[in-house]
Amino acid sequence: MHPAFSVLLFTVTSGFGYGFMIILVMAQLFGGNPFAAPQAYWLSFAVALLLMTVGLLASTFHLANPKNAWRAFSRFRTSWLSREGVLALLYYPLALIYIFVLWRNSWQTSPVVLLTGVLCIVIAGLLLLCTAMIYASLKTIPQWHTRLVPAGFLIFAVLSGLLLFNLALTSAGQAVAKGWLWGTVALSVLAAVFKWYYFAFVGKPSRSNINTATSFTEARVRLLDTGHSAPNFLQKEFIYEVGPKTKTLARRLVLLMAFAMPALLLFAQMNLAGGGLPLALLAVVSAYLGLLLERWLFFVEARHVIRHYYGA
Amino acid sequence: MSSTEHVIKASDDLPQFENHDQQEVKYSTCYMCACRCGIKVTVENDQVRFIQGNPNHPVNKGVLCGKGNAGIMKQNSPAKLRVPLLRKAGSERGAAEFEEISWDRALDILTERLQRIRETDPKKLAFFTGRDQMQALTGLWASQFGTINWAAHGGFCSVNMAAAGLYTTGHSFWEFGEPDWDNTKYFMMWGVAEDHASNPIKIGLEKLKRRGAKFVAINPVRTGYQAIADEWVSIKPGTDGLLALAFVHVLLKHRLIDEEFLVRYTNAPQLVVHAPGSSEHGLLLRSEDGRPVVWDMVGEQFTGAHDPDVSPALVGEYQTPDGRTVHTAMRLILDKYLQPEYSPGQVAERCGVAAEDIERMALEMAQVAFQESIRIDVEWTDWAGRTHDHFIGRPVSMHAMRGVSAHSNGFQSCRALHLLQALLGSIDCPGGHLAKPPYPKHIPPHIKPARTNQPNTALESPPLGFPTCPEDLLVDDQGKALRIDKAYSWDAPLASHGMMHMVIHNAVKGDPYPIDTLMLFMANMAWNSSMNTAQTMEMLRAKDDNGEYKIPFIVSCDAFHSETVNYSDLVLPDTTYLERYDTISMLDRPISEPHAACDAIRQPILDAGRDVRAWQEVMVELGGRLGLPIFINEDGSRVYKDYKDFIVNYEKAPGIGFLAGWRGKNGDEHLVGEPNPEQWETYIDHECFFEYKLPENMRYLRHANRDYLEFAQRAGWVGSTEQIVIELYSETLQTFRLAGEGLYAGPKPPLAPQAERLATYFDPLPFYYTPLEQQQLEAGEYPFYAINQRPMHMYHSWDSQNAWLRQITAQNYLYMNRAQAEAMGIADLSWVWLRSHNGRIRVQAKLMDGVQADTVWTWNAIGKQAGAWGLSDDANESSQGFLMNHLISQSLPEQASQSNSDPITGQAAWYDLKVAITPAAAHEQGSWPEFVALPPLQLAQRAADEISYSSHDNVNLVRSNADILRKGGLS
Amino acid sequence: MRLGLVIDLDTCVGCHGCATACKQWNTSGTIGPLSDTAPYGKDPDGAWLNRIRTFEVEEQPVSKTVHFPMSCLHCEKADCVTVCPTGASYKRDEDGIVLVDQDKCMGCNLCAWACPYGARELDPVQGVMKKCTLCVDRIYDENLPEAERKPACVLTCPTSSRLFGDFDDPNSEVSQAVRARDGQDLMPELGYAPTNQYLPPRQPVEVSVHAVEEEQPFTVKGWINKMIAR
Ligand SMILES: Nc1nc2c(c(=O)[nH]1)N[C@H]1C(S)=C(S)[C@@H](COP(=O)(O)OP(=O)(O)OC[C@H]3O[C@@H](n4cnc5c(=O)[nH]c(N)nc54)[C@H](O)[C@@H]3O)O[C@H]1N2
Ligand SMILES: Nc1nc2c(c(=O)[nH]1)N[C@H]1C(S)=C(S)[C@@H](COP(=O)(O)OP(=O)(O)OC[C@H]3O[C@@H](n4cnc5c(=O)[nH]c(N)nc54)[C@H](O)[C@@H]3O)O[C@H]1N2
Ligand code: SF4
Ligand code: SF4
Ligand code: SF4
Ligand code: SF4
Ligand code: SF4
Ligand SMILES: [Mo]
Repeated sequence: MHPAFSVLLFTVTSGFGYGFMIILVMAQLFGGNPFAAPQAYWLSFAVALLLMTVGLLASTFHLANPKNAWRAFSRFRTSWLSREGVLALLYYPLALIYIFVLWRNSWQTSPVVLLTGVLCIVIAGLLLLCTAMIYASLKTIPQWHTRLVPAGFLIFAVLSGLLLFNLALTSAGQAVAKGWLWGTVALSVLAAVFKWYYFAFVGKPSRSNINTATSFTEARVRLLDTGHSAPNFLQKEFIYEVGPKTKTLARRLVLLMAFAMPALLLFAQMNLAGGGLPLALLAVVSAYLGLLLERWLFFVEARHVIRHYYGA
Repeated sequence: MSSTEHVIKASDDLPQFENHDQQEVKYSTCYMCACRCGIKVTVENDQVRFIQGNPNHPVNKGVLCGKGNAGIMKQNSPAKLRVPLLRKAGSERGAAEFEEISWDRALDILTERLQRIRETDPKKLAFFTGRDQMQALTGLWASQFGTINWAAHGGFCSVNMAAAGLYTTGHSFWEFGEPDWDNTKYFMMWGVAEDHASNPIKIGLEKLKRRGAKFVAINPVRTGYQAIADEWVSIKPGTDGLLALAFVHVLLKHRLIDEEFLVRYTNAPQLVVHAPGSSEHGLLLRSEDGRPVVWDMVGEQFTGAHDPDVSPALVGEYQTPDGRTVHTAMRLILDKYLQPEYSPGQVAERCGVAAEDIERMALEMAQVAFQESIRIDVEWTDWAGRTHDHFIGRPVSMHAMRGVSAHSNGFQSCRALHLLQALLGSIDCPGGHLAKPPYPKHIPPHIKPARTNQPNTALESPPLGFPTCPEDLLVDDQGKALRIDKAYSWDAPLASHGMMHMVIHNAVKGDPYPIDTLMLFMANMAWNSSMNTAQTMEMLRAKDDNGEYKIPFIVSCDAFHSETVNYSDLVLPDTTYLERYDTISMLDRPISEPHAACDAIRQPILDAGRDVRAWQEVMVELGGRLGLPIFINEDGSRVYKDYKDFIVNYEKAPGIGFLAGWRGKNGDEHLVGEPNPEQWETYIDHECFFEYKLPENMRYLRHANRDYLEFAQRAGWVGSTEQIVIELYSETLQTFRLAGEGLYAGPKPPLAPQAERLATYFDPLPFYYTPLEQQQLEAGEYPFYAINQRPMHMYHSWDSQNAWLRQITAQNYLYMNRAQAEAMGIADLSWVWLRSHNGRIRVQAKLMDGVQADTVWTWNAIGKQAGAWGLSDDANESSQGFLMNHLISQSLPEQASQSNSDPITGQAAWYDLKVAITPAAAHEQGSWPEFVALPPLQLAQRAADEISYSSHDNVNLVRSNADILRKGGLS
Repeated sequence: MRLGLVIDLDTCVGCHGCATACKQWNTSGTIGPLSDTAPYGKDPDGAWLNRIRTFEVEEQPVSKTVHFPMSCLHCEKADCVTVCPTGASYKRDEDGIVLVDQDKCMGCNLCAWACPYGARELDPVQGVMKKCTLCVDRIYDENLPEAERKPACVLTCPTSSRLFGDFDDPNSEVSQAVRARDGQDLMPELGYAPTNQYLPPRQPVEVSVHAVEEEQPFTVKGWINKMIAR
């Protein structure tokens, strides 16, 4: 699949947003304001919302006819993209009610705070699921048509959220509890193993091939002519080839940047008396870039069945 | 199932998608190619809404091909010329610097020049037309002007097929006949990619496949038609004659031949004098009245071959009373083809076809012809007036085209096919190969090429015709060619379509003489229609010692900015096919069906909106201005107001004009009749075509069918009602051979190589020889055959300007056999060098299975010169596409004076090319040579960066919001 | 009603007639215009609803070239419809035609992603999704002559390789052809249940050979003429 940069940006950025939101609200629900100063929470909350919003806006960049984007809310009955849109829209009032009530209640966990807080977590999770299901629901792309995809989106988002949370605490000048750090490191390792497994999964042959595509199931079939000279929409959108060397390099970089580096940096942070801010920041940057690359690979390694009609 | 059952009844209320009240439907004839299908054009807002096939039209019966459906983008081509152009004073030819001039000025310049030529030496005007569909008019104009230097594209196209047919069966492959699609049970297609019967072949193939007939495709390449064949025979190029004669060998060996057919309808029983070394040798034994003679087995005597009710011996050797030995032609046929050199075992290797397969296919044909013959119970009368109650059909049919003809052995190869057909008895019979009216004609048609050229005088006969003896050649007393293209010279005696491919070359060399003006119509001679393109472009610019152009003045009439436009001094912009009146006449290349005589017209459907004129109008106008005899009255005033007036009122012979339908004062006479002033309007009322169906008794064996022959004579198609006897043995060829051997009593060739060619190639019986160019190349130096195919969706150079068609093919590749290429280290899509004895080019290779191992091929005429055709300089056609023509030489490697053509007909030998292939270096990418990009012309339109064509505001089918919200559960 | 096409791979010669007929009809049709980019420049491209690809099947010596026209197959289980967020894509209840409401599409490409058959192409100029309409604007147009109320591609195909009709009607031409010639689904494993069916190439026709007496090949000397009156 052709990796549209806006889509990479959208999924990774909003993943950071949703993940951060989940962690923030969870931390608050379980232990009150994790920050020393209330402003830090408001600010973090705003950042999470901002990331979600930036992500969503980015997703509209790849629309060829954005003036009809508003109609995307209408087919939530069947379309995961529509569902994502509807939930994303619902998220704002919900988040605002939660934060407003929290503020009005001066950090007291009222039933409303509890309800809206839980909803903020659940719907962020659902949003992640919706985004993932846009891809996972496509039978045309065997590499995406798997539960591994929603699982991955959730894991990576939560990991991103944890890293941002760590950055937020560190930049607020607070020491981060060892538990959080160990948890994040552990999740990084899990994510890496998971991604490793996915890389192996991606290599599995698909049930569709040039034979099933053409109905000549008993014979060797080769493309002779595409019927057009220059690449057409289908080829530009669906057929994106990258050399095996580049792919291997990209896979290593993903594991390194998205998971190993952050884990190492956090580990270093644990063993550092203070001044963890650069490390925490670097961990986020590394993870962000790593996940962008991960998303790029996610597209690049996705092989739409249309390619069988183009000879593959 | 009737068509109405397909009609789906609307179940909901749909919007009115289009306003039919604003639309107009007009009929006309397609000219996206020379197949000439009937079209039904819906027009609105001065734009084309839809072009569809006319379901009533005899040619295409409602269907259209890929090109025909893309007419909208031809009409919208940015390459359309807009206004007459004159090369700027002081600018160089080829630099494409033009001054826009008015039509008055253009016609004044031309008239003045032509007037002067006509008054002095009319042959100094060479007038050549390419994909001309109005040769009846351009040829008539040329003969009225008085120049013998006229021809159309046939000489570089497929004259081998036409000539072989017209010198053998009286009709031919190409446009002059077609397989009986409805009845044939075994169809063999030789070297056809598309042909002029583009849609009819497609319609026919489906019909025969549906009926379960067998379709054998003989072609080095398996694409297009060959893809749907039951059997693909991957022959080596240029060896079809050998394969056909091996089939002949097998049939003869088992005596599986239609002896009745041979006796009754061919000259197989006619007697041939055997007197080696004498001027009589190989000529027919003739009676005192000059008629051929046979041996009557009943009377045991020599008797006239045309006498009815005798029983001629088919095979035999006899002594005449005066002591001469004579053989039946059939005896010579047996002697020749039973030789082991034609046995499957001996030809297999050279043809690349297994001996068992050759034997099997021959016996399959025999099986179908003789065990599965068909009978049509219709009473008919033969040439001798005897009635028969049925026709016997031998349902084996063939079609052959340029795979056979575009070789220098094509004439004899094609004759081999006709011999094969005759042995099977499948000529113009049910299930066989049928003639299309006005064919068959007597063999050959009784027209001799004009030879005298006088100032201010029309020619006595048309410039092109059919010689039968050396006296008919167009050579002077020294044996030097009279025509600029050297057609009908000793180099190409039966060049019955001229040799357009030699014009530029000869004119520049002044051999046989310099000319003054070269006038080209509808021919891209600076590019894909010339061999050796790069040097041809130089020749067009060549100057003599005085700095004058060697071809002093070049006029071209084109509708589009072709490469040739740039090399012209005067450019006359034509209309498109949707903008003009046009005639597809029976006097020209027929669009008839086997069982119907047909012609058609075009009518203007759109307003040109530019300062362009139809060439036919220009011809009539020039005819008047120059005072050509048929165009002026005795008082010098003009006869014809315009082209339409000319078509309606001109009579070639009393009652016979360009259009055959609705003649007579009241429009109620057909084929023959006085001019009808309402004829055009009547054609328009009848969907722009005329179809005269032949009655059932006139549909077969027309060469020997009295009712038909009488009918054809009345229609002016044949000169007499005498039986047309198929000439398996060609006395005409033998006559020329005698001249080559120095045994002929008349003119003889002056040069030894010419004599040798005549002696070698003018065999009265078809035979196989290695194509000329290949004879002269070092064996093994150029291991690959290199050929072209026409893509079904592109017409020569025309369609690269078509925004839809060029999306399908903007670049051509060199297709190679996969195993062969891989063995040479050539990967798919890599660049390779292609070298011939004439030069080298760099091209991109593509590998495939379906091509004969020693053959490479490409799509014809996709490569373009940068800057032409309204394309950008970096268009794929010029940066990645290529033209095979650069490699093809117009002369033979060892004899620069001999053209690379068939030695009999002068047919250009495009497909004799052999090449060597080497991988290009890694940095060598893109096609080479690249030609200088031409400066843009001010064309009719600016080439757009994007197009969203619609003839009206599109009416969207709206889905209701309610439906959107209602449909579908949560999944 | 379940309308669709049958495509005969035995007779298609790859002429592109159906492709250009489709382009010209539909560019002024309900789904049009169908735009083109760089029409006269490098790499010309555009939106087409029907394309012809060519495959080579099997290795030498027994191999075959197959022309393969493809347009929307109007699937029964059309995921292209379910994924569409705007509701622009839909399948009509009355005849099963899958369409795109041009006024509602936002050009997200998701439906094209969901289509296994490459039947949807984004218009490069208008930014909305284009696809075969089964010529809904022809087949129901009562102002057209009855015989012409067929898809443009079907009308034009010179080899009659395209049949149009109602697959719910067991007696329709399409249903009969599918039964007689063993019509095939493309990529059945994906479960889209395409309506359009492909007829596989027929077995090559075989003709028996004429019996011959192998032992006595014929010679000129042995020839005895038959009495045949001219
Ligand atoms: N290598 C190679 N070369 C070949 C062949 C081959 O097989 N291989 N084939 C040969 C054969 S068979 C042929 S017939 C020739 C074809 O050669 P040409 O007859 O030269 O064919 P076109 O390229 O079609 O060029 C004809 C010209 O007509 C112009 N034209 C189109 N429509 C109109 C119109 O309505 N009015 C006017 N006035 N002009 C118009 C076009 O713009 C073009 O410039 O090519 C020959 N060249
Ligand atoms: N679409 C389209 N239609 C056209 C034209 C066009 O340009 N485009 N041009 C028109 C013109 S001017 C002409 S003359 C006709 C030509 O019509 P065709 O004769 O059908 O045209 P070619 O493309 O020359 O096809 C030659 C075929 O012969 C094969 N071949 C080459 N050498 C040999 C050989 O030695 N033996 C055998 N058996 N096969 C061989 C090639 O592979 C090819 O398939 O088409 C006309 N129709
Ligand atoms: S074959 Fe095609 S291009 Fe040629 S006349 Fe017919 S429809 Fe037109
Ligand atoms: S029009 Fe018919 S023969 Fe031509 S490509 Fe389409 S389906 Fe095949
Ligand atoms: S072919 Fe593609 S676009 Fe057409 S219905 Fe099926 S999935 Fe949808
Ligand atoms: S591109 Fe248009 S039709 Fe396709 S899914 Fe998006 S909104 Fe729907
Ligand atoms: S049915 Fe109509 S829209 Fe569909 S492919 Fe055929 S012509 Fe195109
Ligand atoms: Mo030609």
